[in-house]
Amino acid sequence: MSLVDVKGVTKRFGGLTAVSDVDLTVNAGEIHCLIGPNGAGKSTLFKLIVGLYPPTKGTILFDSIDITEERPSARVQRGMSIKMQAPSVFKELPVRQNIQIALQERFSGAQRIFEEDRLLTLLNLAPDSGKVAGALSHGQQQWLEIGMALALQPQLLLLDEPTAGMSPEETFRTGELIKSFNAEGMTVLVVEHDMAFVRQIAQRVTVLHLGKIFARGNLEAIIQDEKVAEIYLGKTHAH
Amino acid sequence: MAAELFSTFYQFADVFAFLILSAAGLAIVFGMMGVINMAHGEFIMCGAYVTVGLVKLGVPLAIAQALAAVTAGLIGVAVEYLVVRRFYKRPQDSLLATWGLSLIVTQSMLLIVGSSITGIGTPEGSFAIGGYTFSTYRLVLFACAVAVLIGLYVTFMKTRFGVMARATMQNAAMARALGARTGRIYAISFGIGAGLAGLCGALYAPTMTLIPTMGATFVVESFVTVVVGGANVLLGTAPAAVFLAMIRMALNASYGQIIGQIGMLFAVILIIRVLPEGISSVLVRRGR
Amino acid sequence: MFKLLDGSQTLGRGWTFWSCFVAVLAAALIYPVFADSYDVGNFSYFLIWIFMALGLCLMWGYGGMLSFGQTLFFGISGYAYGVLAINMGGGSATIAALVLSIIIAMIAAGILGYFMIWGGINGIFFGIVTLSATLVLAFFLGQTAGPEWHIGPARLNGYNGMKGMDPLAIGDYFIEGSALYYVMVALIVIVYLALRMLVNSRIGNVIVATRENPQRAEMLGYDVRKYQLLTFVIGSGLAGLSGALYTSWGQFITPSSIGLPAAAMPIVWVAFSGRSDLTATLVGSFLLLFGFQTITVYSQQAALVLMGALLLATVMLAPQGFVLGIGKLVADRWSARRRLGASPALADTSRLQPDET
Repeated sequence: MSLVDVKGVTKRFGGLTAVSDVDLTVNAGEIHCLIGPNGAGKSTLFKLIVGLYPPTKGTILFDSIDITEERPSARVQRGMSIKMQAPSVFKELPVRQNIQIALQERFSGAQRIFEEDRLLTLLNLAPDSGKVAGALSHGQQQWLEIGMALALQPQLLLLDEPTAGMSPEETFRTGELIKSFNAEGMTVLVVEHDMAFVRQIAQRVTVLHLGKIFARGNLEAIIQDEKVAEIYLGKTHAH
Repeated sequence: MAAELFSTFYQFADVFAFLILSAAGLAIVFGMMGVINMAHGEFIMCGAYVTVGLVKLGVPLAIAQALAAVTAGLIGVAVEYLVVRRFYKRPQDSLLATWGLSLIVTQSMLLIVGSSITGIGTPEGSFAIGGYTFSTYRLVLFACAVAVLIGLYVTFMKTRFGVMARATMQNAAMARALGARTGRIYAISFGIGAGLAGLCGALYAPTMTLIPTMGATFVVESFVTVVVGGANVLLGTAPAAVFLAMIRMALNASYGQIIGQIGMLFAVILIIRVLPEGISSVLVRRGR
Repeated sequence: MFKLLDGSQTLGRGWTFWSCFVAVLAAALIYPVFADSYDVGNFSYFLIWIFMALGLCLMWGYGGMLSFGQTLFFGISGYAYGVLAINMGGGSATIAALVLSIIIAMIAAGILGYFMIWGGINGIFFGIVTLSATLVLAFFLGQTAGPEWHIGPARLNGYNGMKGMDPLAIGDYFIEGSALYYVMVALIVIVYLALRMLVNSRIGNVIVATRENPQRAEMLGYDVRKYQLLTFVIGSGLAGLSGALYTSWGQFITPSSIGLPAAAMPIVWVAFSGRSDLTATLVGSFLLLFGFQTITVYSQQAALVLMGALLLATVMLAPQGFVLGIGKLVADRWSARRRLGASPALADTSRLQPDET
């Protein structure tokens, strides 16, 4: 059963066609990775699914509902949760308040505080909960933001290069975290560059190249596909 | 028929000149430094008062006007050094700081000079076409506005300073790395902006009553022109002035001054919605 | 609901703060007994402007929207009160006029706000558009001196000012002097407490989040435009409250209350006080208004020069606000003394304490 259906989506910016006639299906319950070399259009496609701008052509369905014209906040209300590439937390607000804002629509009072504590422990941020978010390290801010995204308890979690700037150990822990949420039924769509991370978590993979779908399939199939390795032009972690 | 056409052109030229002369200085400062100079009206006022003061001392009008513009420019350099320098790329803070400055200046002037002084008359000279009489001086103002645009073009496009200034506008850090003395460029640019404001005041002094708050007359329209035009003076402010002058004229003719001003405001709001960075963003080739 | 009075968005909490609050309130309530009616009337005059300051504090300090339109809505509401009070005949109708004029101001704010916010106008352009609208209204009203400018029997009267409306009244009894003073104090207490609860609530959290990082707030499922519009309407509505009260206090309103330099005043008060906190704004605005009134008796220009200087000084030296800065210094020293040496370094703790409810 497909949760996200991107049909025939094209996006042009002036003279540049970033994404061309792309079809993408994300099935409910899977961890789906979107990969491809630089300039392939991954970020653009991600932003289209998220709703930062409308496609030039095509439709986007979420749980069979046409969301092509909807704002990000409306899509989030339907059950998506989003984390863009650069850490984007509320830098001047305390860490705890960041989590609180994410949780407050679902929980209140003592229960909310319990959830805040639970998430803070999960994210290893409990000792820092009083600090302003801007004072955290880059990796910690990424984690905080992932935590906020998870706090929405979404059907679909969308992540754009969540491990950018993380150490290998932090990357691995992030992967395990995502897998544990997936095991509870969360669908995840991840745009990634780090092939080790992709190998750790992906179930299905879609490869973009020059704005078009290049290949798609299970993780093993894509990893063994020579043509996919080629388009990365010799980047060793594609092997 | 020719008389009607000329009359239309004359009215257009009148508004166009006003917008260009009042907005050019502001556009340079905003485009160069990302600074909103709310004291812009006060530099205009400075130019006007210095002009009138000099004329009353016997200095010929044109020379008085030139000196007034220079005076305003020099004061501008000082203001840049003392105040504005801290607020680059911080439009909100620069707006507030210069607004404070504006309050200080206008109210101090009111204390020192009083609320109005006798002005100087518009230079005589009129001509008639068809059944209409036109003031020559107004056309002189139009010529000055065009001269300002040409002068800015030459300065910013053809001189070494201009090249450095434009480089600094685009990427100050890079420009500095290539040897541009950005501090001086900012000071000079702000001085040019203030000088142009002073020139505006000097040119319009013979046509207005001089009061310390006269800057306010120019402020709304010049801000509006800069906002609509975007950061580039030649490819933004000038077309914006053309556009706004036409709207103003059309509304003035049909509905009178108030609707003219309100109409311009609405036009601005609409433009900001459609082109958040002004007309410049459409016309300036993005060569990066 | 009342536990929202204390929260992470407002400074001042716990017994120390609230006892001071009650003490100040008690002093305010006893004041008319000891002071003469002229001074009481003056005090009421200061209090009129507080709503406008608090409204701007909400919009700018909490919502991140610098609106130069406070005097615009002040004027809309003030003139609306005049027109309505005159046309409805005075007496108890003035109460209705008050309420209606605030509603009119809020509707106007809703329309202008909708156009700006849905149109993506933010940042400095928000200020420019609101300032332009303010100046246009002032300009427009300024040339309504002729007798043809009237709504019913109410003449707008240009710079001569609209006159002839009744002050707030119940039946034949005019609410003036001490009675008006108590009404004002009550209104301020209500508005202040209500705003405290608002900013500490979930809505307040979203307002602050929108200021900090609108995209992130959007991606947590909040349509930030709606929250911005709400903030704008409430903040501008409070300016409207000031406007209607002003017109009723003096039975007079002119375009000078709308244009420059009046339009700059709320900005000065709020910037100087510390826009990010309601209490700082309340205290600081009152002090500034008091100072301004004292000087303006001798020279209005000198008072305005001072205002300009304070604005410049604030932006250059203490962008957070002088009153707020001093207040926090005092609070830190106080809590440092109580904690005997374990004083939190200002640098790495957040200035807002975590929610301890």
